[in-house]
Amino acid sequence: MIIFIILPIFSWSVVAANLNVANLNGLKAQFQTAIKSFSDIASLHYTLAGIKELGVQLPDSYCDNINKLVDKLNVESIYHATEASKTLVNCKLPVEDYRATLTAVLQSEDSKTAELYFAVRSSVILGITVDESKIEKRLNLLAKTDDSVVSQGYALLTGAQLSQTIAKSYADTINDLVQQADEIDGSILQYEGGIGATALIFNAFYEVAEKAGVPVKIDSKQLIKFATYFSSKRHVATLRSAYYLTKIFKHLSDNKNQVPVVVSRISPSAISPQNPSVLVSVTNILGQPVGEMSVVAESAKRKEDGVVVISKQKLISKASDFSVYELPFYDTKIPRGFYTIHLTLTARNEGKLIGLTDNMIDVKVTSEGTIENVELTVSDRDNTAQAKTYKLSYPNGQTDKLELDYHQKLTIKFQIKDKQSDEFVRVQQAFLRFTNKKSNKEIIYLAEPSDGANSQYKVEVDLITNANDFRHQSDTYELVLILGDSLLQTAYEWKLNNNVQLTFHEESLADKNHQKLYLPRPEIIHQFREDEKRPHNVVSLVFSALTALPLLVLLILWLKIGFNLSGLPLGLSPLGFHISHAAVFALMFFYWKCLNMFQTMRYLALVCIPLFLFGHRVLATLAARRAKKV
Amino acid sequence: MSQLGQVVGILRKLNEEYQISTPKKLKLIDAYLIYVLLTGIIQFAYCLLVGTFPFNSFLSGFISTVGCFILAASLRIQLNKANQSTFNVTPERAFADFVFAHIILHLVVINFIG
Repeated sequence: MIIFIILPIFSWSVVAANLNVANLNGLKAQFQTAIKSFSDIASLHYTLAGIKELGVQLPDSYCDNINKLVDKLNVESIYHATEASKTLVNCKLPVEDYRATLTAVLQSEDSKTAELYFAVRSSVILGITVDESKIEKRLNLLAKTDDSVVSQGYALLTGAQLSQTIAKSYADTINDLVQQADEIDGSILQYEGGIGATALIFNAFYEVAEKAGVPVKIDSKQLIKFATYFSSKRHVATLRSAYYLTKIFKHLSDNKNQVPVVVSRISPSAISPQNPSVLVSVTNILGQPVGEMSVVAESAKRKEDGVVVISKQKLISKASDFSVYELPFYDTKIPRGFYTIHLTLTARNEGKLIGLTDNMIDVKVTSEGTIENVELTVSDRDNTAQAKTYKLSYPNGQTDKLELDYHQKLTIKFQIKDKQSDEFVRVQQAFLRFTNKKSNKEIIYLAEPSDGANSQYKVEVDLITNANDFRHQSDTYELVLILGDSLLQTAYEWKLNNNVQLTFHEESLADKNHQKLYLPRPEIIHQFREDEKRPHNVVSLVFSALTALPLLVLLILWLKIGFNLSGLPLGLSPLGFHISHAAVFALMFFYWKCLNMFQTMRYLALVCIPLFLFGHRVLATLAARRAKKV
Repeated sequence: MSQLGQVVGILRKLNEEYQISTPKKLKLIDAYLIYVLLTGIIQFAYCLLVGTFPFNSFLSGFISTVGCFILAASLRIQLNKANQSTFNVTPERAFADFVFAHIILHLVVINFIG
């Protein structure tokens, strides 16, 4: 049952991801939990900086934590320490302690882009001068060897620490970096490395553009795809991602940049006479109002057949800060179904708002249904002429006891009518449930609708065919009809009869113990293949002897015919021939007994030589003799 | 009754004709053929009675009889002077082929008999 209800919701969310309002409260809670205890300098940095971004100033006592956790020889640690100290009002760090490490990293040829950024940023915060041209050369060199997107992000961040001209040259490369993002499902842009990498790089765009004094040049559609990605991250695992995400949401709602507008439905999804309007909220990604707008519903299309029910209707502003708009939707003429409303917005003031077109809202129009023409029939299995039919009407069930024997069957027919359109409709769930009053076991049958416009539902329960479903348990049952649909305003659970006595033909079987499925099964003992039946030894010996019998027959016949033994040539060659011939037979015998094919072949080759030699000579002699005779 | 009598008469005539016109050599080969046939029949009867275990041995034995029969029959055909026009081999050559083929047949049969 639950599966049926979830299915329509799933089909909604397979549609491209939408831009939502950021989960700022979640981020705030994450920082507030983290501030209770620190394990390392990085967490301290991100927590303090994150809380500062959210507008809370922290006391200077945290300066001690910074000094305790920092590792003076590690440039990343120094970076975190200096950034953390910047969030506090008055936290001075011992510059000389870090100077050595920072200078080493700045001079070294082996520093990676990230390390270079840490060193430059720390130096800038601490007030140590850096050789800008040298840094720029190092960055150009690194860009050739390491072209990963994260490295490019760090390069932008480093550029943002240098002079404005350098920052401007880096700001011009933002578009190249945007092109390297991966698009998912046509609605999201992200970088390889997930939220951590994407947030770092996206934030770098804004930092370097701010230093350069130019706006961030990203195509508005791409910006919305990035924003969709960020707003879809309701919870992030690391504090680093949380911090960068907070910064990004602030950039995306800052009026000097392009601001994506978030349009979402705040009224319930079902439209009914009690809930006739769709309420839409129009805000920026932080949930703040974006000024006066004109919101128009371009069309409202039904999902199953594309019927358009609303066209170019303006929404009414409901809130004084212009963040909530209303669209009256309910009308008796609008049929039930799932609808998609396409909204376009026009800003009153010229601004940098984007994402004003192509906003889709999903709603569903439900209707009230009535159960009509309900018939409960008890009839004989074989002879349907003798049938007793009861007409029922919701919500009254049968009061009398219903008795069914094993030669009878129960049939229930009904129709469901949509109150508004007066049509007979089909529902997603139509079940007939029997509940055993003693054991509370439920047996459920599906009611099937007939084809055609009248959609009559029918369910038949036969006490012989369906006996096994009940495990032949002859007991008193309760009969309930269950109807439900996502477009039906109310679902029905109608008790048709409280006292149904079923009597089955056979003895009742125990209920299947489903727990047994999880216990060990009986062991299977391997059975080797049984030998074929063989005859008694004597039988096979007798038959072997019998096979030798024809030999006698042959000898007798040959003698009778007259074997020309006298014509047998004598001499070396014939002798040799007969010996080698016999040797071949002997070889065959040995092959059967103990040799293998290879050995036999070798011996055979050996024996064949004299055989052929002698044989040839003998046959030549015979041929000569024959020629002489002729 | 008369039909049976006719058949018997025909057979007797056939036998007489055979005894007179076939040369001795061919008669010897015919006797050999009968021997091989009998052996084959006995093997097959055993298989029908007792079953096919071991099948490979039965097959090899049976195929041995069949092979011998065929080779002997082909020898007989080649030696028959009436067929001299079709074949162009000397009797000695036919016999040599017969021996060679038999060696190969026996090799295969012994291999298969298991």
